[in-house]
Amino acid sequence: MDRREALKRTAWIMGGVVSAPAIMGILKGCAAKPTINWKPVFLNEEQASIITEVAGIIIPKTDTPGAKETNVPAFIDLMLKDVYSKEDQDRYLAGLKAFDEEAKKAHGDSFAELEPEKQAEFVKKIHDEAVTAERATKPAPPRPFILMTKELTMLGFFTSKVGATEVLQYEAVPGAYHGCLPLKEAGNGKTWAT
Amino acid sequence: MNLNTEADKKNTYDAIVVGTGISGGWAAKELTEKGLKTLVLERGRMVTHPNYPTATKDPWDLPYAGKASQEDLKQQGVQARTGYTIRQDTKHWFVNDVENPYTEVKRFDWMRGYHVGGRSIMWGRQSYRWSDLDFSSNAKDGHGVDWPIRYKDLAPWYDYVEQFIGVSGQNEGYDVLPDGKFLPPMEMNCVELDLKDKVRGKFNRPFTIGRTAHATAPLPHSPQRGTCQFRNLCARGCPYGGYFSSPSGSLPAAEKTGNMTLRPNSIVHELIYDEKLGKATGVKVLDAETGEQIEFSAKVIFLCASTFGSTFIMLNSISNRFPNGFGNDSGELGHNIMDHHLSVGAGADVEGYEDKYYSGRRANGIYIPRYRNVGSDKRDYLRGFGYQGGASRQGWSSLVSELSIGADLKNAVTNPGKWTIGLGGFGEILPYHENFVTLNKDKKDKFGLPTLTFDADLRDNEYKMRKDMANDAAEMLEASGFKNVRTFDNKIGVGLGIHEMGTARMGKDPKTSVLNSWNQVHACKNVYVTDGSAMASAACVNPSLTYMALTARAVDHAVSELKKQNL
Repeated sequence: MDRREALKRTAWIMGGVVSAPAIMGILKGCAAKPTINWKPVFLNEEQASIITEVAGIIIPKTDTPGAKETNVPAFIDLMLKDVYSKEDQDRYLAGLKAFDEEAKKAHGDSFAELEPEKQAEFVKKIHDEAVTAERATKPAPPRPFILMTKELTMLGFFTSKVGATEVLQYEAVPGAYHGCLPLKEAGNGKTWAT
Repeated sequence: MNLNTEADKKNTYDAIVVGTGISGGWAAKELTEKGLKTLVLERGRMVTHPNYPTATKDPWDLPYAGKASQEDLKQQGVQARTGYTIRQDTKHWFVNDVENPYTEVKRFDWMRGYHVGGRSIMWGRQSYRWSDLDFSSNAKDGHGVDWPIRYKDLAPWYDYVEQFIGVSGQNEGYDVLPDGKFLPPMEMNCVELDLKDKVRGKFNRPFTIGRTAHATAPLPHSPQRGTCQFRNLCARGCPYGGYFSSPSGSLPAAEKTGNMTLRPNSIVHELIYDEKLGKATGVKVLDAETGEQIEFSAKVIFLCASTFGSTFIMLNSISNRFPNGFGNDSGELGHNIMDHHLSVGAGADVEGYEDKYYSGRRANGIYIPRYRNVGSDKRDYLRGFGYQGGASRQGWSSLVSELSIGADLKNAVTNPGKWTIGLGGFGEILPYHENFVTLNKDKKDKFGLPTLTFDADLRDNEYKMRKDMANDAAEMLEASGFKNVRTFDNKIGVGLGIHEMGTARMGKDPKTSVLNSWNQVHACKNVYVTDGSAMASAACVNPSLTYMALTARAVDHAVSELKKQNL
């Protein structure tokens, strides 16, 4: 339940008077725990919730489905488990932990407990810092959590049927190759998925 | 008295072909079409066109977005050294390295596929003729031994092979890259056309579209094949028969004759030599499924088991006559390992052309034929290299390192990214006796057969050449106006080019070569070796077309010799 509701109900139970420390206690205790509708095989539930929200911020539902609607969070979890090396897994989990702690420092709540607007704002901030750092450093260092998540989100989404066929364009059997076309005549003018 | 007469007869053929890859498929086709009852032995499993398990999978059908898992890398770690062969849609075509070990004294990259069709299913399909610059190189600079043939000997066979397999290309009249019998060439894209003008105009160097074994027009003589559909998923195997492979092209032709017996899961490990007759009478086969040992007999035997496959058989065939390996009077068997060294060149960003794109996925690139050490050009190294390359627009992956996320990202990604262009060199490796492979009887494989030990390295000539391969590419891209030009020169192992050759070389003199000008073993004329083992030098062009031409020519010779009762 959301916190305003918890507070309202608590006030009602306690006859209308709730002290400030009590309020803080209630707020912490009744924090809305976002649930995920998939079973992680590598991350724990808490970690899985975080990356689900992050993926949904990176590729949200617009006029086309987004990462959450296309099972991308489960894809990320599976990739971490089976494709990533131990070294990369460790870096990812450490980065995820640091990300959550940074959220606590910046906004007072762990990432999963922030309001959606604050989550998006926080992701954008961390993301932009990481992109700027990567572009400024040659050779680029191993990608931090936020960019690994972005990369995996994009990989999962743009290899999905929705991503490849509705957001990009995809032709299973082109039949011919035309090398030098005006952009708008190359299919529907969008980027080819493959 | 021979109690097994019926069994013997059952196991006796006019000809035996070992291997069904790019050369074995051709030996099978030519022998059967000329009327010989031919046993074709393949060590791996059966594959029939058009049954390629991953051929029509969409990106979302593949686990892990197609990427290799950690478990895959454990099982196929050597095969993964290329960076592109172990993917979810192609890994089943490459050997399990844990089950098929070998020893590397220095890093040696041995890429293999054990199944009917071999690497003709996964090959790069680039098909270029040799010129006399290539055939005469050993004679001219003294490395290796002189080829016992020249271009004129192979030219009619290049014609013959190109017309059957279907090669798309553009005749250009270049001495260094002889013209061929081509199907319509594939198009270059806008940026490649620009590079072509600059390379030809500013550098006066040759530049053409890749010559590739794709059917860009129908091939009426191969009705089971269609035309290339520009999916660029070739390494999966093509259900359209869009490119040439043994299963789609040569084996169906052999099958049609009714003269072929194709036996997969048949590991040939030894030639049977009759000292009295001075002939090979057959082969020893280990059935990979049942463990049974079987002997097959024939009048003529074609070893087409791939360079190290055929060389293994010869090294493992010891007799009083051949104490050092079959046909190894010269001591050259297993020596002179060559390949093409690669993973060196340059790339650049392209400004402009935002309003230009392409449709369809072209499984081919541009080709810059050799221009170094040609004519009056003299470098501080011998021989030369060519470039394969191309331009393309970046896709969604270029946006990971950009600032947009969210709805902005979904929007930004629909616009094709900036153009980039690259050139990758393929360089000739000299024949060094010191680059060699031996049989290792101390380390056996799961069948109890010896394994191979490789001791080969790039040497001074190759490293000097690589400097040009990187610098020349950068110079051409820079002069063409492209930006952020960056060279690359990666550490590789011999074998990474997957064009390994030379270990049973052709030559004029039995004292310094294993095969004669007809690909016959000097010391045993009814055994022909027509895969990469036969090569006396490597040139810098993809070798499969030459293997096919040598094979067709050798079969023609063998059948003529049989008719004259010379074998």
